Amino acid sequence: MNTTSINFESLVEWDNSPVILFSHKGKILYLNQAAEILFGYVSQKELFDIAVSYAPKYFGYKTNSLTLSYDAFVFHAITVGYENEEEISLRLYHMPRATSPRTIETDRLIDTDINLLLEANIALFKTKNNNTLTLLADHDLPSFKIDQNNFSKLLRKSLNAFKASDSIHISLKLLIGEHLFINHKKEAIAQLTIHANGRYTDSDIEIKALSEKSQIKCILKEYSIGLEIPLIQ
Amino acid sequence: MESFLTSSDKVQYIIKSFNLTKTLFVSSILIGEAYTGKKALVHYLFPNTPHVSGEDQKKVEVALETYDELIITNFEKLSNIEHLNFNNKRIIATADYIANADLIDNLFAFIYTMPKLIERPNDLNVLKDLFIKKACKTLMLTYENIDKESIYVDLSQNTKSMKRSIYFSLVQQTMKEKEIENTLYQYFDKHLDGNNEYRKYLHLYERPLIRVGLKKFGSQLKLSQILGINRNTLRKKIHEHHIN
Repeated sequence: MNTTSINFESLVEWDNSPVILFSHKGKILYLNQAAEILFGYVSQKELFDIAVSYAPKYFGYKTNSLTLSYDAFVFHAITVGYENEEEISLRLYHMPRATSPRTIETDRLIDTDINLLLEANIALFKTKNNNTLTLLADHDLPSFKIDQNNFSKLLRKSLNAFKASDSIHISLKLLIGEHLFINHKKEAIAQLTIHANGRYTDSDIEIKALSEKSQIKCILKEYSIGLEIPLIQ
Repeated sequence: MESFLTSSDKVQYIIKSFNLTKTLFVSSILIGEAYTGKKALVHYLFPNTPHVSGEDQKKVEVALETYDELIITNFEKLSNIEHLNFNNKRIIATADYIANADLIDNLFAFIYTMPKLIERPNDLNVLKDLFIKKACKTLMLTYENIDKESIYVDLSQNTKSMKRSIYFSLVQQTMKEKEIENTLYQYFDKHLDGNNEYRKYLHLYERPLIRVGLKKFGSQLKLSQILGINRNTLRKKIHEHHIN
């Protein structure tokens, strides 16, 4: 079989798994679309160090089973390889996620300005707490359809998890390059992150349930809560 | 247009949050002690919204089916609240207290707590002055002639006790001798019964007299001279009436 005439570049470019080619000094020589998104959550140095640590002893490719998680991205294996002393490549394999098809009750969804709801919830939070709060919001985010009552409850509970924190940072931005398919329609995603020096976790189950109800992916960490909100049009 | 007087930061944030959600279909509840201004605030923010009291369960259920925007006062009086349908409605409720915090948490997106009057020092002065002016108008007194500092303000029941204590203070401040006598007359008329009543009610005269005297003249010796009674008699009466 002769494969020399086949150009695999676009296949790699659009592969769902992040693929990165580093120079021997850790400089990125090539990265595909999936890797570009991943670099929003992990540093170049961290991935290069992993590539070097798991590189095979001799020229060639080696696949290792290990769990890596960066924000919402979870990988279960990596392939590291090199064919010369100058370049080293890394490929990360997504952990398969079991998802059950969900139906959206569209009659409950109302066109909403997320900034309005967020500011109202911050004002509510301030009626009970005196913590320093900073907000970095993208005011150009388009309005989208959501169950306003359910989403407000989610925001209230998420903010309340930080009621004892000294300083709370909130950021709201559009996730560039990431989309979600809902009812066969490609929807943009907004990311809301609340970060502080610590938080209560007693409402985590409720936060998860409320997120699921609104098709929101929630990322609960020790110091932060991240909500990835589909901007349903 | 109605106005709502407040300079409390917490109440300002409640107003801000309500204003931001005015166009949204969310359920909100304002919880706080009676007479803290919950209903006044809600009516000020939503002047044209239909309202119904939780005292009438049936009326609330009918109103929920009829309107998309509704004020429900006395929410604590409702039963079976878990069956209420707030979907895609703008509900604004007020309650003096909540019996089941979990149910309220499930039903409402925005849960506000109205601070007690005693926790709103800035509002106290504004409201005190407002009530004094109103009382002066009702009692036909000259505002400028009133000794505002000496007015006792009772905050145990928020604006209810505040208003009442201001009216009482103003009446007391402006009472003439004849009116004091008439007040005592009415009181005795209602209570005089039994035996030893002279000694029983003597404190009504002696206690304020000695308390004011001690405050005004400082020493018991001086006061005994002013009152024209023996020093030992005065000391006995101070002890008898538990005056410090």
